[in-house]
Amino acid sequence: MTAPHDPSSGELVRLVAGREIATRIRDKGFIISSIVILLVIVGAVLVQVLTGSGEDQRRVGLVGGDAALVGALEAQGEALDVDVEVVEFDDAAAARTAVDEEDVDGALLAGDDELLVHESAGGTLEAIVQGAVGQLAVAEQLTDAGIGQLDVPEVAVTALDADAAADQQQVVAAIFGVVILYSLLILFGQFIAQGVVEEKSSRVVELLLATMRPWQLLAGKILGLGLLALGQIVAIGVVAVGAALAFDVVDVPGDLISTVAIVIAWFVLGYAWYAAVFAVAASLVSRQEDLATVLMPTSMVLIVAFFIGIQAASDPGGLLARVTSYVPGLSPLVMPVRQAAGEVAAWEIALAVALMLVAIVLVVRVGGRVYSGALLRTGGKIKLREALAAERA
Amino acid sequence: MLEFDGLRKSFGEVRVLEGVGFTVQPGSMFGFCGSNGAGKTTTMRIAMGLVRPDAGEVRWRGRLLDQASRRRVGYMPEERGLYPKMKVGEQVAYFARLHGLDAAAATRAAGEWVERLGLGARRDEQVEKLSLGNQQRVQLAAALVSRPEVLILDEPFSGLDPVGVDSLAEALLGQVREGVPVVFSSHQLDLVERLCDSVGILARGRMVATGTVEELRRREAGRLLRVVVPDAAPGWADGLGGTRVVSERAGDTLLELAPDTDDQTVLGAALRTGRVTHFAWQQPTLVELFRGAVAAPAGAEVAA
Ligand SMILES: Nc1ncnc2c1ncn2[C@@H]1O[C@H](COP(=O)(O)OP(=O)(O)OP(=O)(O)O)[C@@H](O)[C@H]1O
Ligand SMILES: [Mg+2]
Repeated sequence: MTAPHDPSSGELVRLVAGREIATRIRDKGFIISSIVILLVIVGAVLVQVLTGSGEDQRRVGLVGGDAALVGALEAQGEALDVDVEVVEFDDAAAARTAVDEEDVDGALLAGDDELLVHESAGGTLEAIVQGAVGQLAVAEQLTDAGIGQLDVPEVAVTALDADAAADQQQVVAAIFGVVILYSLLILFGQFIAQGVVEEKSSRVVELLLATMRPWQLLAGKILGLGLLALGQIVAIGVVAVGAALAFDVVDVPGDLISTVAIVIAWFVLGYAWYAAVFAVAASLVSRQEDLATVLMPTSMVLIVAFFIGIQAASDPGGLLARVTSYVPGLSPLVMPVRQAAGEVAAWEIALAVALMLVAIVLVVRVGGRVYSGALLRTGGKIKLREALAAERA
Repeated sequence: MLEFDGLRKSFGEVRVLEGVGFTVQPGSMFGFCGSNGAGKTTTMRIAMGLVRPDAGEVRWRGRLLDQASRRRVGYMPEERGLYPKMKVGEQVAYFARLHGLDAAAATRAAGEWVERLGLGARRDEQVEKLSLGNQQRVQLAAALVSRPEVLILDEPFSGLDPVGVDSLAEALLGQVREGVPVVFSSHQLDLVERLCDSVGILARGRMVATGTVEELRRREAGRLLRVVVPDAAPGWADGLGGTRVVSERAGDTLLELAPDTDDQTVLGAALRTGRVTHFAWQQPTLVELFRGAVAAPAGAEVAA
């Protein structure tokens, strides 16, 4: 037998982390929850594809009418942000069949000024057709009235925010991101907390602390589960980007990828903070039943952060979103949304990250002391102050 | 040499240890006795760095027992603790690794110890599925797996059946033969008497008696005298100077003599009552020594 050596802090942390990972990946519940999350993501992208394509495309059948009408229909569609495809039919009967078979969304009988639809026209289709027909009629009547060339001043459109549409997609991606971030933070926070209490309730912690310091145990647990969580969020990111590209949901894949990267980066910061807080809170109790009570305040913060994050999507420049995007604990769920909406200066991001890092250091420092003081006190719930005092005793 | 030196510890107002000190020689077994709440667990936890003493220190081979050297100590806490859902073999190997064995050595050593403690067939079972006694064996395996230089065991025999006691005793004696100092606490004094080279009794925050069982006996012997006088009237010894009647039943009398009392005057008094069928210094059992030591008022310390 080789002689035992004195393991370094790094080795101990790695050993603890390794045990956490090995235990989790053999846990059916963990595997199932991971797969479910991935399926939900793919499902969400699919829903986006199905509802999205239905909105943005219209096939309009046309009987009679001339090139001007086709042009007007297409122009009208463009104005309303809808792809209009005009399919010409020889007679009304053919158009009718096509509508019945839902080959086209509607058919315009140009001579009769009649629009055939399957069930109901729906606002967009009617607006397109009505607009196109109306436009032509006005033009015709003006010509008849002898006003050949009417000088309608053309409005020049200067886009101040040319990226708005693309930003909108990024914001949607960021919302997805926030939902996932929130779910994973809650999930892994629970895992950490349960792990801490398990070690306390089974009293194995006394044996562990005879070989390592509390902070090494804490760091190992956070790191081990953190790697799993990171693996999971990266997998989700890859699947989501892959699915979005495969189904052609996004216009600018680069932007989507950068949003995903931003969400993952904030996840790392958020996880470090929440995991430490959850672990420290959990160390105050000795039974799984008491866990909900001590985790409550932190869970509330997380829930509030989540709702602010969602709200920030609709108003990324608003005061609430701006202020909370610097607040440690809230920033991981708000800042990614603001970044995706493209309304943040680099210094703002730097400030938020710096504050978050300071908060993490603080939590690990103070929390580590609470954790040390509380770990060996079993039975009942320990007050924060008692735990701090016990650490010094 | 494992030295506990001048340990003091208070929990708030409660002064638990007020200068506890004793030494354990390599290759010897030390039985650590004391009433409930005397502070045995606290003393052992101080040695393992789990409780910070107000004063005093624990040394191994002349050097302070610190985080690094503690890794060479096998420890069995009073509150047994294992990961309930972890498999027996893996669990023991994990603790071996925490004590500094590399992966291959840890797996091998874990396999050996699991086998040696009769758990070979349960190696791949979760600990929580084992009976209490078997869990205790896993606990022992976790303490022994890293080939510790020192063993500190808090009530290792509690909860074991007689066969389990024997096999644990055998395992501990094996360690002692290899030169490991073993400290264990126990309330089973017959066991302590049978196994231990030396004994320490903790009471009122101090060691009120330390030494080999023989030494303790010799201290106490010469003080307790058993006299059997079948024909004597009850209370026959009450008037004797320099003696105290510890017990008296139908002439079977146990007397405690003050140091300067002559036993021959007692014999004379006994003969005056009639026949004397037994007259001898009493060999106290450890239980009696324990009772005496724990009951004695502060100040009357016995040390060998
Ligand atoms: N963490 C703690 N906080 C407050 N008091 C404590 C703490 N740990 C131990 N004590 C007190 O210290 C005293 C000694 O306890 P300890 O567990 O060391 O006794 P013991 O000799 O091991 O007893 P037993 O034979 O019952 O195991 C007890 O009065 C106990 O209440
Ligand atoms: Mg005890």
